[in-house]
Amino acid sequence: MRRTVPVVIAFLSGFVMLVSFFFNPDRSILGRIESEVLSWVSIVAGFSMLLGVVSIVGVNWRVVRDRREGWGYKAITLVAVFVMAIPAMLPVSWSPLFGDGSGSIYDWLFQNLSATMMGTMFAMLAFYIASAAYRAFRARNAEATILLLTAILVMLWRIPMGEAFLRLFSDKLPDIINTYVMNGVNLAVQRGIIIGAALGAASMSLRIMLGIERTYMGRG
Amino acid sequence: MSGWEILQIWIMAFFTLALFSFLYRDNPAYRLAEHLFAGLSAGYYTGLIWKSVIIQQLWEPITRAENPRWWLVFPGFLGILLFTRLIARISWVSRFSLAFVMGNTAGVYLVSQLHGLVLPQLRSTMQSVVSSKGFGPSLLAIIVVVGVISTLIYFYFSKEHTGLLGGTAKVGIWCIMIAFGAHFGYTVMARVSLLIGQVYFLWNDWLGSFKQIL
Amino acid sequence: MNFWDRIATVERRWVYLMVALAVIFPLIVPAHFPVQISPEARQLYDAVEALPDSCNVMLTFDYYPSTLAETEPMSIAALHHLFRKNCKIVTMTTIPLGGPSIAERVTRKMAAEYGKIYGVDYVNLGYKYNYVAVLKGMGTSIESIYPTDNSGTPLSELPLMQHVKNYKDIKFIFVVSDNVIVDYWISIVNAEYGIPVGCGATAVMAPKFYSYVGSGQMTGLLGGMKGAAEYEQLVNHPGLAVKGMGIQSLVHLLIIGLVIVGNLGYFLGSGRRKAKQL
Repeated sequence: MRRTVPVVIAFLSGFVMLVSFFFNPDRSILGRIESEVLSWVSIVAGFSMLLGVVSIVGVNWRVVRDRREGWGYKAITLVAVFVMAIPAMLPVSWSPLFGDGSGSIYDWLFQNLSATMMGTMFAMLAFYIASAAYRAFRARNAEATILLLTAILVMLWRIPMGEAFLRLFSDKLPDIINTYVMNGVNLAVQRGIIIGAALGAASMSLRIMLGIERTYMGRG
Repeated sequence: MSGWEILQIWIMAFFTLALFSFLYRDNPAYRLAEHLFAGLSAGYYTGLIWKSVIIQQLWEPITRAENPRWWLVFPGFLGILLFTRLIARISWVSRFSLAFVMGNTAGVYLVSQLHGLVLPQLRSTMQSVVSSKGFGPSLLAIIVVVGVISTLIYFYFSKEHTGLLGGTAKVGIWCIMIAFGAHFGYTVMARVSLLIGQVYFLWNDWLGSFKQIL
Repeated sequence: MNFWDRIATVERRWVYLMVALAVIFPLIVPAHFPVQISPEARQLYDAVEALPDSCNVMLTFDYYPSTLAETEPMSIAALHHLFRKNCKIVTMTTIPLGGPSIAERVTRKMAAEYGKIYGVDYVNLGYKYNYVAVLKGMGTSIESIYPTDNSGTPLSELPLMQHVKNYKDIKFIFVVSDNVIVDYWISIVNAEYGIPVGCGATAVMAPKFYSYVGSGQMTGLLGGMKGAAEYEQLVNHPGLAVKGMGIQSLVHLLIIGLVIVGNLGYFLGSGRRKAKQL
């Protein structure tokens, strides 16, 4: 019951998608089943996001309750969860501040705080990549030298000033980089990685459907 | 610019600078912003799932007067079963829901990865050799074929990389280094772009607001 | 410790300061640089240009707010191009954090500029969970995945959606993305339903997608802020991306300089000797 039933469910759920691929979904009952199953999956998977939020609230609440180190910051996280979520869940007919439309608390907090902070967090990576380039990007051996030279060449090619500089050597140099580096070696390596990863994903999918791969079920 | 807009800009600028302050060292302003961001993100997800899944995909189709889709209570029930994960004694019940999602995704992947990625990519590689004419395209086709094969061999770990296999893998690592170098070049642009976005805001909006205040 | 050793071990905060100055300097002394159009950006522009007027196009907002500086100029340029051609636009997102809000804000702003009416000229479907199910499900019926649009209006009440039931009713999909979702637009939607997919991607993702352009699975590619600047130039609406290329130039040159100086410090200082001893 605890393991066999989930394996059967996984097989049937995947089998529908597998079989429906070979038929025209518009003209068969299979298409309607496929469409229904996919909308079910979207709904069930949506609840997993809420499970994540419940887990975050639980972890932070325990720190605040026990007054552990940094509990004040965790309290801010908890307050932020509710200040963002509760007005969004209340009907907009009660107040224009509720719901998620323009002018709502939810929208205001997202546009002015979440989006700004998320942008800043990632903007900081520009400093780190510069620091890493300076401190760790060394031509220690042949492979590292190839990597370094390609990086410099591509960086120059990507910016207008650099492209103009490359043209000083040859007018065709930017086109050569685009053709032989980006659409040549880069394309080939990306293709190799795509093929390898896709074969891996397909075999893992088959293992899940056949019940060989069960780690997603956890223990017990 | 109204007073309210200026206040908004200053709040945004405060949190932007609070996060940037981490570049100097960890400090309370950064940690305040970091924890606030985590909470707001979790809250955003909650509001989004409430609206897009619970209301739009469940409640409204089930309760509408015309052609109600009452059977959607089943995926709703499966979704609720996921929460049994939080109760150790009955956490195994959540496997039914997980298996449904995992199996379905596996079914889609099995076909789409082979039909949508492996075959077209292989076809393109082989066809480029046959169909290319002239020195440039032929050279490009050879680079692509050699690059694809040597990359695949480099990542093939079932046999020791010696002899012909080792030589091909060596070519593979050179190709990979060129591709990673190109990737690094692109990544620099990506990271700088994000910084430009935030600096534009501070320069134009925040510093611009000083003119309004003074 | 000689001069080069000192150079090689400069405190990281000085490097941060140099980056900050390189970003700020072009704001004080602005400079315009002409952007060369890449063949991939030209291919995407030509594909959109070749679409019949007033046809249905899907535009996706598959990006997080963290990459707005790269992706939003692409979305804006795409909307300029599509609205100018009177295309009917269906927008959607597979990104939970911010995707629906960004799509709503950008599309409404651009629609107002072109005098387009919601429901007739464009519709924002919003977000639904599990992108694999969403992308696959829309192949049979968009309404089964999106019973309503982003603001809760049933699709049956929107005139545009009377003609758009699934992918068969869409002529082109313009994906703007900062993540791997592009792989699924290619492997599921393009491969199974044969709809041409063009893509604007962040620079981090773009190198991978050359493989799809090469195999003909992707119709054109915009890579990062440079790609956005190219498209802005092609649609004749230079915006933030074109402006940003000046800053990009300076910071790129700084980073190239840092790599060179760092290596000089490594080779001429004691760093290489120490590495050899290890």
